[in-house]
Amino acid sequence: MSAAVTLTPPPEAALSLDIDAVTKSYGPTIALRGVSFDLRRGEVHALLGENGAGKSTLVKILSGIVKPDNGSVRLGGQRFAPHSLMAARAAGVSTAFQELSLLPNLTVATNLTLPKQRKGLLGLASRRLNEAYAAQLLAECDAADISPGALVSDLSLAEKQRVEIVRAVSHRPRLLILDEPTAALAEPEWLFRIVERLAASGTGVLYISHRLAEVRRLCRRGTVLRNGESIGTVDLANARDGDIFRMMVGRGAEEPADATATPVRRDAPLAVTLRDLRGPGVDGISLNLHRGEIVGVAALEGQGQRELFRMLGGAAPILSGDVAVEGKPVQFASPLQALRAGIGFVPEERKIEGIFLGLTTASNISLPILGRLLRFGLIDRTRERAEVGRAAALVDLAARYVGMRISALSGGNQQKALIARVLLSGARNLVLFDPTRGVDVGTKEVIYGVIRDFTAKGGSVLLYSTELSELVHLSDRCLALYRGRIVGEAAGAALTEERLVSLATGHGE
Amino acid sequence: MSPPADTRGLRRAGLGSDVWNAIALFGLTALLIIASRWISSGFGGWEQTKAILVLSSFVVVVAFGQQLVILTGGLDLSIASVMTIGGVLTFNFVGASPTALIWGVPLILLVTAAIGGLNGIGVVWLRVPPFIMTLAMGIIVYGATLGITGGTPRGQASPALSALFTASVLDVPLVIYFMLAITICGSVVQLGTGFGRRLYAVGTNPAAAYIAGLPVRWLTFLTYAISGASAGLAGILMFGYAGGATLTMGQAYQLPSIAAVVVGGTSILGGSGLYIGAVGGALLLTTFSTVISSLGIAEGWRTVIYGLVILLALLVLREELYLWAGQLVARPVPLRQPGEPAAKPDA
Repeated sequence: MSAAVTLTPPPEAALSLDIDAVTKSYGPTIALRGVSFDLRRGEVHALLGENGAGKSTLVKILSGIVKPDNGSVRLGGQRFAPHSLMAARAAGVSTAFQELSLLPNLTVATNLTLPKQRKGLLGLASRRLNEAYAAQLLAECDAADISPGALVSDLSLAEKQRVEIVRAVSHRPRLLILDEPTAALAEPEWLFRIVERLAASGTGVLYISHRLAEVRRLCRRGTVLRNGESIGTVDLANARDGDIFRMMVGRGAEEPADATATPVRRDAPLAVTLRDLRGPGVDGISLNLHRGEIVGVAALEGQGQRELFRMLGGAAPILSGDVAVEGKPVQFASPLQALRAGIGFVPEERKIEGIFLGLTTASNISLPILGRLLRFGLIDRTRERAEVGRAAALVDLAARYVGMRISALSGGNQQKALIARVLLSGARNLVLFDPTRGVDVGTKEVIYGVIRDFTAKGGSVLLYSTELSELVHLSDRCLALYRGRIVGEAAGAALTEERLVSLATGHGE
Repeated sequence: MSPPADTRGLRRAGLGSDVWNAIALFGLTALLIIASRWISSGFGGWEQTKAILVLSSFVVVVAFGQQLVILTGGLDLSIASVMTIGGVLTFNFVGASPTALIWGVPLILLVTAAIGGLNGIGVVWLRVPPFIMTLAMGIIVYGATLGITGGTPRGQASPALSALFTASVLDVPLVIYFMLAITICGSVVQLGTGFGRRLYAVGTNPAAAYIAGLPVRWLTFLTYAISGASAGLAGILMFGYAGGATLTMGQAYQLPSIAAVVVGGTSILGGSGLYIGAVGGALLLTTFSTVISSLGIAEGWRTVIYGLVILLALLVLREELYLWAGQLVARPVPLRQPGEPAAKPDA
């Protein structure tokens, strides 16, 4: 194969995609209940839906990572059932994943050329040839500013996202899947140009985003998923935002924040006070969290929210600044010490940092209170069962799950168990990082209820969510983070998604 | 797979199927003993069973600590030297005196626990990979033993310790009761105490254990200290059995200590496995080695066969590794978040 790069596949290669009644469940969790839509030759088709609507599962099916249980997928009229990522790629479908799939310890060039490294003399992978090819590829995609020799781990998040997209495009797909491609991009225009170029050449693009403005700009038609079902395909030009939103959430508009919850509980005693907190990614944050208060944090990806929450959870170092809990200065260098200081942390990555897949749900929940359950040095199983049962009831986790291995539970139930654990730990202040990530709508409602109950009993909550609607719905007030600083605050009637977006993009005050 | 009601407690700790593994190992051991009648008519009876149980006591003891270390995802390669130093110290400084035994044994256990503790410090705080740390420690300890003894251990046999092997109650040598007690205590520590439960959590998912507020480093450190002490205890027992100590007495136990644990169903990757399984593994391996000995093969070749059997057992169990690797591959999407390296426990 010559080293020349062509972005544009021959026009006759353009394919249509027909998805018909596709279903998929993971154990007891139904991810897709029935999705049907079609993507015409060379169309840029939007896939819309809230988190947990089933978008990611559909992406995985089309990318060959998981197999659907039922239903059919046809690509260009042919049955399309790839058994691996490579098979999907060979059939002409390539994907830029939302959760980037680059190998951080390798260079941009290696990432772009794997698995088919350009070989030099002696049949060894040639760095020079690979980098030349990568440079050509990047230039062709208007991304010449990224050095092919740079390590991926040294790139900014936006650069990584671009490399991920360039790689997907470099396979010369006949169908390109872009999963939340602009989540981390500072200049989405770059992507729009690529998508438009590909579309003009006849490549189909499945564009997944919940940013309506982008979708309207690129796509003529869009399919709305809700709760694992395709609710319908709409002609975007003729649909108003409100209609699409109604299809996505299944109701007219988000209920306004509970009027009785305001006025904000600022006269309540202080629960957690931060003074000029600094550390990697966090650039001087001060805030007061009152008892009974839910304070939301809104931010675009990578504005220091993850670092801030990890600092408060004891999982990241605090370089300077003061933390006080109920007026008393505290210091902590580990989650254990944070917990002792009264701050419980629910991390974002449930499987990596949250649960213990090899243990039962009960063992997962009782972990922080084992010390209290000891009798003569042994765990008192009766009391353990009682405590775990109490915590499980708080989060509406069915008793039959408690004795099962947690790996057998759905993501939503795992998340409930995780929250049960942090409730059981006795911490009066919770730091929740995206606690409803990837859980179904029912579980979300339960988690909202738990958070409200917790604060009604005098607890305080700092909450980050990628879903602005959730922040608007739950928070007493909401802070916007931008580049490691708090750049604005919204409360009461001013707490709207539009307001949060403008604050979080740094256009607030 | 649904274990019967009597393993409910185990199941609650998330360990049901491991019990079956252990039962299978005990069954295999019994079968092997019975089958050895074919080799010699003197075999397959109670006498041989007793001999096997007595011989396996060293591996049973040393496997306890080794297993705790493996549960955290580590490995202790220093146990051969630590066993030796335990035996040699007892030989040299305790000897025949029963009073010296009373303070000497706890002291020697403390010394060996401290050696293990140094392993723990190296692995946990200095972040030396367990392989290297414990291998180096093994060499250091061996050198120290050589230094202490000047090359030749000298001392007296301890009648009290030897009685463990020579005296019997109900035609069962005392050491077998001792072994039973250790097995029960070890299992209770693993399944009934907060330490055990937390250890499984650490082994299953160190990052989550750290976030959940478990003292991950301290727990890991403790496993190495316990491994040192259990190797020391095994050395003391061997001294009692042999009536003396040599500078190479522990050597034959390095691989079996690991093999017993792994054959016993403990994941080499940490987080799952039961002590009772390791006990079963120890019995099976010892039975093998006894049966091989009786075949009348020269000692060198006997060791070769024994080594091959262990290797084979590990190869058979490799399926578990495949499963694990398979799960990794099947994970639908790269789990790492954009821009954020997965948190390390000691970040």
